[in-house]
Amino acid sequence: MGNISTSYKSTSASSSGGLSNLWNQEDSWAVWLGLTIVLLSIVFWGIGDNFMAWIGVKTPSYSNFQDPLNYLSSHKDSIFALYLFFLILFSIAFKALNVKVKWFFAGFTFLFGLSVLVSVVGSWDVMKRYNIETPLLALVVGLLISNLLKIPNWLNTALQTQFYVKLGIVLMGATLPFTLLLEAGSVAFSQATIIAVATFLSIYWTGTRLFSLDKRFAATLAAGGSICGVSAAIAVGGAVKADKQHVSIAISLVILCSIIMIFILPFAINVLNVLPGPAGAWIGTAEFADAPGMAAAAAINEQALRTFTLMKVVGRDMFIGIWCFIMALVSITRWDKRYGSSKPNAKDIWLRFPKFVLGFFISSIIISILTASNIGTPKVINANVINPIIQLRDWSFIFTFLSIGLSSRFKELASAGWKPLAAITAGVFVNLPLGYLLSVKIMNNFWTIVK
Amino acid sequence: MRPDNETCVQRARFFFYFFEKKDWEPGEYPPFKDILKVKKVEPEAVRNLNRFLNIRLERIASMMEVLMKAHEDWAVTGFKDHILMETESFDFNDAVAVLKENGFSDHEFILKVEYTRLWGVL
Repeated sequence: MGNISTSYKSTSASSSGGLSNLWNQEDSWAVWLGLTIVLLSIVFWGIGDNFMAWIGVKTPSYSNFQDPLNYLSSHKDSIFALYLFFLILFSIAFKALNVKVKWFFAGFTFLFGLSVLVSVVGSWDVMKRYNIETPLLALVVGLLISNLLKIPNWLNTALQTQFYVKLGIVLMGATLPFTLLLEAGSVAFSQATIIAVATFLSIYWTGTRLFSLDKRFAATLAAGGSICGVSAAIAVGGAVKADKQHVSIAISLVILCSIIMIFILPFAINVLNVLPGPAGAWIGTAEFADAPGMAAAAAINEQALRTFTLMKVVGRDMFIGIWCFIMALVSITRWDKRYGSSKPNAKDIWLRFPKFVLGFFISSIIISILTASNIGTPKVINANVINPIIQLRDWSFIFTFLSIGLSSRFKELASAGWKPLAAITAGVFVNLPLGYLLSVKIMNNFWTIVK
Repeated sequence: MRPDNETCVQRARFFFYFFEKKDWEPGEYPPFKDILKVKKVEPEAVRNLNRFLNIRLERIASMMEVLMKAHEDWAVTGFKDHILMETESFDFNDAVAVLKENGFSDHEFILKVEYTRLWGVL
């Protein structure tokens, strides 16, 4: 991780909570911008303007180098409009989030240029033949740059992995019918819960019994490795009053393992000949964090991306508040009481609910209503509304994958000590085979038909 | 782990409730016990409440002073039944240690700790 805090304007202590959360939280802005894009797609289609489709550029697969050059040359206006479109939307959000917008302008310009380059190279048929498509290529390019060169602060400002992936997830909602979310949600939740509980207990038990880690530290580590990555580690770390350094270590390890898994999972899926649907579901339980999981699933195909999202967002992310409530209860009833503890409040479940998941559901509902109405046939809506959203979603994911690479320094991530690393690795050894068994063997038929 | 390799921001939130404490120590008597849902409230019960509030509010003010002396950067918000002190730049362990050094105990405040990922962290 880089010196990212410097890109955030320093302020003195401010009060938390209240309506200001609607405009001073990254989650909220991912929802606002995601829904804005969904509504713009509908409005432009409604007035007969193809602006959204025009800016939704995608380099076609090629074998001759002249082809992408011709494509870029003929679409230069669209690419510039796409750049301005994202720049304006993101600048509004980051201004509200107190980010240095001047630095963001410079950083995003570089990030966008690199994204175009990566998407062009990733469309080369040689890269496709070796399964190094755009997501993995973006990650590798980012990792090479950040581990060999010093990333300047102005570039760090634009590396907002969480923001880009949340925006992508909100846009992903528009591509999934709401009925599918309801139908697959219960299966995803059941499967994810079995794996999360087994993984949590493995990491916690290994951490406390074998490596004598502090209970709170082990719980924070276990939450990060089993529930939903960094978000879970910080939420449970706060709920059990873990020390700041322990939470920082848990975050570093979760990121390190997540990045390693981006390469291991697609490789294992390829070797084991797993179909895309079950593969996405497996990644959904095996990957710790949303952004790396998206990279691993996107390296397979669109169906894997969908089943991954159903498993990770609907089956795991949504329930972070409930997990924290349980951990806070365990912390004050089973462990020694620590510093002015109070009973956990059920209201905290809502406070910890990841709000971008609401955006994901809302965009799914909007498009489902549009499709169910008689305004246009599903084919027309698909071509004129959903496809442009998919193209913009994919750009948001390229920003995400590049940001993961550009903000991950292995030297820093690996400096957490071997005991916590061993504990979290124990969880991976339980999680991976159990996830494979449930997604690929037991629930194979279910995940195969989710398209 | 290198101490400067931080990946999260810690927010410590101290709640000081006026009318109640989390636990009552031996010899202490909850002042509202003879007031709330009591059909015939005795004047002495109100005097007890007065004595309790005098002591309680003074203790809260003292705790605030101790914390403010130990660290400058606090957001202090007043509510009808409590004072909330929040900071992101003073570790909660250090804040609690300062309170304890000055004779205050766990049951006189409620502490909640929130972590957020450092801006830009994956």
